[in-house]
Amino acid sequence: MIGKILVANRGEIAVRVMRTCKELGIKTVAVYSEADRTSLHVRYADEAYFIGPSPSAESYLIIDKIIDIAKRSDADAIHPGYGFLSENSDFADRCKSEGIIFIGPSSHAIKTMGDKITARKTMVKAGVKVVPGINKNLDNEEKALEIIKSIGLPVMIKAAAGGGGKGMRLVKNEKDILPSLRTAKSESKAAFGNDDLYVEKYIESPHHIEFQILADKHGNTIHLCERECSVQRRHQKVIEETPSPIMTAELRDEMGKQAIAAAKAVNYSGAGTIEFLVDKDLNYYFLEMNTRLQVEHPITERVIGIDLVSEQINIANGLKLSLKQKDVVQNGHSIECRIYAEDPENNFMPCPGIVRNITEPSGLGVRTDGYVYEGYEIPMDYDPMISKVIVWAKDRAEAVNRMNRVLDEYKITGIKTSINFLNKIMDCPDFVNGKYDTGFIEKNMDFLIEKEVCDKNCEEMSIIAAFLEYNYYLDKLVPQTTFSNNKNKWKEFGRRKGLMKL
Amino acid sequence: MSLEISLDNRKKTIELIEQDGNKVKVLIGKTEYELNVAKTSNGIYSILHDGKSYNISVIREKNHKNYIVNTAAHSYKIEIIDAETKFQKLKHKDDSDNGDNTIVSPMPGKIVKILVKEGQKIEAGETAIIISAMKMESEFKAKRKGVVLKINVKEGDIVEGGKKLIVIK
Repeated sequence: MIGKILVANRGEIAVRVMRTCKELGIKTVAVYSEADRTSLHVRYADEAYFIGPSPSAESYLIIDKIIDIAKRSDADAIHPGYGFLSENSDFADRCKSEGIIFIGPSSHAIKTMGDKITARKTMVKAGVKVVPGINKNLDNEEKALEIIKSIGLPVMIKAAAGGGGKGMRLVKNEKDILPSLRTAKSESKAAFGNDDLYVEKYIESPHHIEFQILADKHGNTIHLCERECSVQRRHQKVIEETPSPIMTAELRDEMGKQAIAAAKAVNYSGAGTIEFLVDKDLNYYFLEMNTRLQVEHPITERVIGIDLVSEQINIANGLKLSLKQKDVVQNGHSIECRIYAEDPENNFMPCPGIVRNITEPSGLGVRTDGYVYEGYEIPMDYDPMISKVIVWAKDRAEAVNRMNRVLDEYKITGIKTSINFLNKIMDCPDFVNGKYDTGFIEKNMDFLIEKEVCDKNCEEMSIIAAFLEYNYYLDKLVPQTTFSNNKNKWKEFGRRKGLMKL
Repeated sequence: MSLEISLDNRKKTIELIEQDGNKVKVLIGKTEYELNVAKTSNGIYSILHDGKSYNISVIREKNHKNYIVNTAAHSYKIEIIDAETKFQKLKHKDDSDNGDNTIVSPMPGKIVKILVKEGQKIEAGETAIIISAMKMESEFKAKRKGVVLKINVKEGDIVEGGKKLIVIK
């Protein structure tokens, strides 16, 4: 049984994984870069080891260093979190050959799902619906033209090694086919060192819906229902919810079965996610599989009532799944908002810096997964996501109201954050009515960045607060009657008494 | 004694009339406000006015005269303009370097690429420098047409927020 886990990650996910370890009585090992000495995961862990300079390519991404620390600290297993080495098949292989348990699927599953062309082929063979397109490399321009015309415009040209929108081109007009193909090829080469491309039919303003999968090493695979992830900006998820407002019981059952088939096709074990595109007529297509824990896993945990990290550890220990498909029931509604250190009023520019005050929301049905604290300097080297706030309520309307209240309560000062922007989404009719797709943010941008009207008073109050703070500062320089919120009568009394004694 | 305060570059005058414990009386322009103010923690003010409750955070910027003030939905840049500031502004008026067109890093980051050279002409809207922070690259452009006078950084440098990167005249 696993008694000690090295968490090869940082930020909120490292802390989140360690929390479960603590509950399970498992010792935790943190690794940290130069920029992360004061990061919360280092303080939270039982042990912590330095692994190098701040850029992740020189620390968190170096397999040798992680393995070395795992051995030195005598860790039984490594949890990779998400990002960094979580979908690196070489890392999974290396763990295996060093006799360390990799908490994740086999390197075969990672590799198969990581190459998008191979993944498409495997899915087609397993009877999983994929976006209409081709399953081979577009290496011949003439043939590519022919193929694209037969699929019919518009199409998406994508990199086989792809991710994060790189090497991806939308083609609407015939004259753009070849130029787009060439730029996608060079971009893909530069980003991934691999210029294999494939092409898919472009699906306009689709929904992005994914299914959570759990599979043990005894052949049991179940799905834990869907997550609706269509609120996106530049292909990055911003808000997720479950159940999806457009889901029906029949569709859930059908897509769930397809998701299980997809996972079984690669002999999957552990927690994973099958992403689908869903068009306005509820046709759905396999998009890709994420062979790791997702950022948005807490909303599934909340409505299904399980701890996914705990399940991952059980599976890694060779245990059978703790629940069967028939036990999986969605209870109520859950929404997650990702809080980014960015400035929505300034084209979402990233905003590292020192956190001054934090007031975290609380109350019924609220969870925050974060890692920043007052006085912490958010480094410029990593992802701008600083926390996630998750609400649960008995139905969607209540959940939206609750998230609205929670975002009002959530205050982070010192840096700019996306909290107010997210708050506007909770007021946006399309979101409130559950009528949105991946085009949501673009369509509603004017509404979302419009400033709240401030009554005259809130400006005046701001001026007064700044003025008093300034006076407070001057008073401190010249000690006299200071501005204080509570005159300490006892102190005064004590002083007077002291005087009397004299 | 009244003071000038600028809120997002709009100027107002403010004067403290009376202060007794939490009770504060101030005059802004010609309007008098009677308030109950409590400083609850570092920089957080609770202000009660006509029964309404305001929760305001005041964050000190580069010195005790510059603040970022956040209300429930708004964020303001507030500067206290005292006699000293007024004098300084007057003094520097003549030798100001037309600072508006200087490119300043708005956040800490790493210089990825510098696309201009000292002495070269630059058009309004032309990208001069690319900075990367938190896995995102941002382009910074010249606000007006001009000549690149000085480049204070080189590619690969790590810079603090607020640093003057490229001076354009």
